[in-house]
Amino acid sequence: MGLRGHNALRESGGQVVRFLVSLIGSTHMAFPSHWVRGIVTPAEASGGGSVTWAHAVYERTDLTDRFSIRTTGVTAETRLVLYANEGRARCFAVEKVLGLIDVERDLIQPLPAQFRGKERERLLGFFVEASYVALIVNPFWVLELPSRNNILEVFALQVSNGRPGEFDSRLKLSSVVLEDPLPVSAGSAR
Amino acid sequence: MLRAQRHRQTPAGSKGGLQARMQSMVVFSVGGQRLAARTEEIGGVMPWPGATVVPSETPFVVGLVRQEKGCLPVFDLAAKFNRLVEERDRLCLVVKHVDGPLAICIDSHVPSLHTIARSAVQYRAGNDPDIAGICIAGDEELPIINLTTLGVSSNRPA
Repeated sequence: MGLRGHNALRESGGQVVRFLVSLIGSTHMAFPSHWVRGIVTPAEASGGGSVTWAHAVYERTDLTDRFSIRTTGVTAETRLVLYANEGRARCFAVEKVLGLIDVERDLIQPLPAQFRGKERERLLGFFVEASYVALIVNPFWVLELPSRNNILEVFALQVSNGRPGEFDSRLKLSSVVLEDPLPVSAGSAR
Repeated sequence: MLRAQRHRQTPAGSKGGLQARMQSMVVFSVGGQRLAARTEEIGGVMPWPGATVVPSETPFVVGLVRQEKGCLPVFDLAAKFNRLVEERDRLCLVVKHVDGPLAICIDSHVPSLHTIARSAVQYRAGNDPDIAGICIAGDEELPIINLTTLGVSSNRPA
């Protein structure tokens, strides 16, 4: 099994950040993928909602509630993303997993200044793909860890010149979603 | 994408004096609420491209719309006036906001350009800092909205 898709959003060589893109409500949310430890179905969760996977316990956090987003509830596409780092582990539900995308650092844009509320702590910015705009979720906020400056630098990877997908990825998905894997393709930034 | 309407509110005088006594306004509507804005605060009008919802706690700043390679933030002016914009043929008013360009979803009725005598424009401070005053455009008395500072000092519904 593999993820549904793995795309690239690049205009030149340089640093990229790899994201797991999912749907929460009607919004595309992108999570830096280095802290993704796995993706499981809701059936894998225990009664309290936590997930034990590979000897680690992932406590449930409800991102729809924390974001105040309305969702359609659990569907056949719903997945739990296992997310962890620095001794903190959480799992959260998403309505659909779309796949992985490598986004060049320069194509990541900050939230416009008109957003002045707590969304600035929760969202690091956004990127524009051909068919959607994805909001980048602050991984430190997801795990309820103290935040820091230049967060995306933590997740940036150096790509070899002109060779999409050729970089040192620390991403190891321990589980998976998945029907109908899509072929890898190189996207463009319109 | 603006309709020009010059009104006969023009007093006689020199060209420079005339310009000094006139004010250019754009009139548009949001969920049926008619509003006027100073022309220099408008960046353009385009078809509404559809918005990406952003879970935001900033009052009325609710999403992003695509523009070229980037996105503009969306201010929900209809919600401020407790109105709903009909989905059909909506337009996007691009505003020259102090914090950068801003998009507002407006009714399908194409905004019109009015040249109004300054005597028909009354600037006055009220309870809502987003409203600069009133003007008379044609036969209508309309609120003048401060587009450049929209939402900066007011988080209250109108």
